[in-house]
Amino acid sequence: MKLTVDALPDLSSGAVFLATGGGGDPYVAYLATQKVLAEHGPAELIAVEDLDDDAFVAAVGGVGAPTVSLELLPSIDDPGIALEAFERHVGRKLDAVVSFEIGGGNSLIPLIAAAGRGIPVVDGDGMGRALPEAQMMTYPIAGIPSTPAVALDYAGNTATFSTDSTATYERHIRNLAQAMGGMITTVEHPMSGKQLKSSIVPGTISFSIEIGRILRECRGNAHRILAPLREAFAGSLYGELCHIFTGKVADYSSAIVGGFDIGQAVIESFEGSGPKLTIDVKNEFLLARIGDQVLASVPDLITVLDYETSTPINAERLRYGQRVSVVGVGCPDYYRSARALEVVAPRCFGFDCDFAPLEKLTEYHQSI
Amino acid sequence: MLRIGIDVGGTHTDAVLLDGDEVVASTKSLTSSDVSSGILDALEAILAHDRGIDQKVEAVMLGTTQFTNAVIERRELAEVAAIRIGLPSGRGIPPKTGWPEDISRCLGGNVYMLQGGYLYDGWPLAELNEREVGTVIDDLKAKKVEAVAISAAFSPMNPEPERLLAERVRAALPGVRITESHSIGRLGILERENAAMLNASLLGFADRVVDSFVKAIRQRGLRCRFFISQNDGTLMDADFARRFPALTFASGPTNSLRGACRLTGLNDAIVVDIGGTTSDFGVLQDGFPRESNIVIDVGGVRTNFRMPDILSIGLGGGSHVARDGSAVGPRSVGHELVSKGLVFGGETLTATDIVVAAGHAEIGDPKKAQSLDPDVVKAATREISRMLDAGVEKMKPSSDPLPVVLVGGGAVLVTEQLQAASSMLLPEHSGVANAIGAAIAQIGGEAERMISYDKTPRQDAIRQMTEEAARVALTAGAEAASIRVADVEETSISYMPGNAVRLRVKVVGDIAGRFCDSASLRAE
Repeated sequence: MKLTVDALPDLSSGAVFLATGGGGDPYVAYLATQKVLAEHGPAELIAVEDLDDDAFVAAVGGVGAPTVSLELLPSIDDPGIALEAFERHVGRKLDAVVSFEIGGGNSLIPLIAAAGRGIPVVDGDGMGRALPEAQMMTYPIAGIPSTPAVALDYAGNTATFSTDSTATYERHIRNLAQAMGGMITTVEHPMSGKQLKSSIVPGTISFSIEIGRILRECRGNAHRILAPLREAFAGSLYGELCHIFTGKVADYSSAIVGGFDIGQAVIESFEGSGPKLTIDVKNEFLLARIGDQVLASVPDLITVLDYETSTPINAERLRYGQRVSVVGVGCPDYYRSARALEVVAPRCFGFDCDFAPLEKLTEYHQSI
Repeated sequence: MLRIGIDVGGTHTDAVLLDGDEVVASTKSLTSSDVSSGILDALEAILAHDRGIDQKVEAVMLGTTQFTNAVIERRELAEVAAIRIGLPSGRGIPPKTGWPEDISRCLGGNVYMLQGGYLYDGWPLAELNEREVGTVIDDLKAKKVEAVAISAAFSPMNPEPERLLAERVRAALPGVRITESHSIGRLGILERENAAMLNASLLGFADRVVDSFVKAIRQRGLRCRFFISQNDGTLMDADFARRFPALTFASGPTNSLRGACRLTGLNDAIVVDIGGTTSDFGVLQDGFPRESNIVIDVGGVRTNFRMPDILSIGLGGGSHVARDGSAVGPRSVGHELVSKGLVFGGETLTATDIVVAAGHAEIGDPKKAQSLDPDVVKAATREISRMLDAGVEKMKPSSDPLPVVLVGGGAVLVTEQLQAASSMLLPEHSGVANAIGAAIAQIGGEAERMISYDKTPRQDAIRQMTEEAARVALTAGAEAASIRVADVEETSISYMPGNAVRLRVKVVGDIAGRFCDSASLRAE
């Protein structure tokens, strides 16, 4: 399938929905992709089944604190330069690239990298959403080593990585990201087509375009978009979509700490009375709770929509006084396995609670 | 307390004289091409009945869509050289990327990207390069550039590179007009840079417009205080408006929504303001304009101003109507309606002519519209209703029916009940709702400071700054009971020790009975 410039607006807005607050604002990545596709023609999107088992694939994307890319703009040649640096480092040409996360800007960066080189992008990603750390991807969970990997900063400086442990890789890359301006491009998780087939969350790029189409066609009050969205998720590898809370942002604070955006949003009812919803943020919206009662928890998806237009809002774009609806979506089954929960459950982020499946919490969700 | 509200729109200049809540006099006249004679006429019309009243007027509040219209219609825009300090980041994404072609052309092709700026942690992104700066300045001189917008990576955290370059440019090109992006926007370099460019492009026009405002008010002999309303519904003084004309964007819709609230007593409604060129749909919630959550386009350019959520469509009294009646707008004869419209003896078929031909209004010389084909009139009437219905439907906060309040001079275009409305109101003085909204604009108070959250816990810091901002608003004449927080903005300064942030709180409140003269509207 050819992915043209026309598909980009839907892909980016769908990717913000699936990004659960993280992944960075795709607008700049969108502008960059638009330019690259206009120059090199459409990107080729292939289904993972159509990939040769012995094809050589790597994951490409941005790592860092999303707030940074509001100011430290990416360059359109960064993904291509990173890809070349990676190939030089491993001494082998890539046959295809894949996204680490179908979230915000990271859904588009592989397109920029691939279009310039004329290689395909595999439809799918390693998270089915956005998550803050490398070991939380399906690729390492399936046992695929993260390295050899290459990182590139805004100034063209590169670093290479070689370690057996994804946790070590994450620690190194995070520290390097902090020293390299807070946002870097990496090419990592080199693998065969066969390995990718067993570890990818498939079809998420096309699904993101589908969600984007619904957001565009049904643009308007958040309550009215729930039905078409619910239907789209019902036919997908995701779980159920639930309305969690509607109100206005009474407080939002965030800071760049340790290479992440760390913050907390408080949402109160339009009238300002009743219980308040707290959302804990580490790049992504990870936990939605009223006091100690959890209403949704990572790895299930928590997404904040503009109440009037249903436009999904990135964490770094949250502002005092915004009127929003918070929705949750059950994560793909893969992430509910014991093996995946070992690295993505709320305790992995320092929260003192276990993962509770969204659909079991509906009694605590605000009714519409 | 007597005050005057004036609204200078693209087509009409309206004015009201308010005594407290009561409309004492109102007028609607055409916007003159020199602006000031139109204002003088309007002042004459509302004050003429009592010569002695001039000295009792305590304030004149002026709202204007002149600057928004200039951007939307791509006129009066000066060429602006855009200089972004941020290389080597952002290669391939120069200033104006993503702009509509036509407005990009209006601002000219002088776009520069320089090395420099800072990273989030205070480390230099790159050093400002003397040779590069010299080359740019030489080029600006050679091209006799008159307006410049300067942006730099992370300038809301550290504005030094913008200031430094602005000084250099000012020294090399005396009289040049400069907008530094940190003075007009928050984090988000593309949107901030866009705002700075639009603002810089309007600086020359702003001087002319504000001059004509001042001239008209002084010529009339009014010696009271004089304000211009801005997009968040608060007031700014004339000097501030000269420097930041872009802050008036969307003040028109804000004023008409607030005016509609005052006129109807409704706190929740859809307000449709129909002017000569556009119809603007807004939503009143708790008596205030519903704010837009998302990044806002002004004339197709992305900005990050806080603005009311407005849907604007190209339908107004002066809209061109296709010969067969199948299409209405977006082109409009604007303030030339009275010479170009059919009922005024002109040659252009406009929306107003359709309404007159259908017998719904008597404007100009109705006989001149009689010759129109009834099918054309019917088709155009249907199209006008369809456009308005679609607008209301889009803006409704839920499927629950809401009353629709019609304001603005073009409200005559609405000739039948809209399907999307629970009821329709056309209040008395609705034609001058904007001017009423301007007259009841609010007083804002701001406080901004660098704070260490390690020394002052966050909640305490916000409380202190809110109190400080409220004091500023009180001194400037706000009524204590009405003061509420409008915005809390934190920019965390990661490179400073002690959990440092730049904290800014803005409060707004209604104007109390009397003004205090000593007050400044803005505390730095």
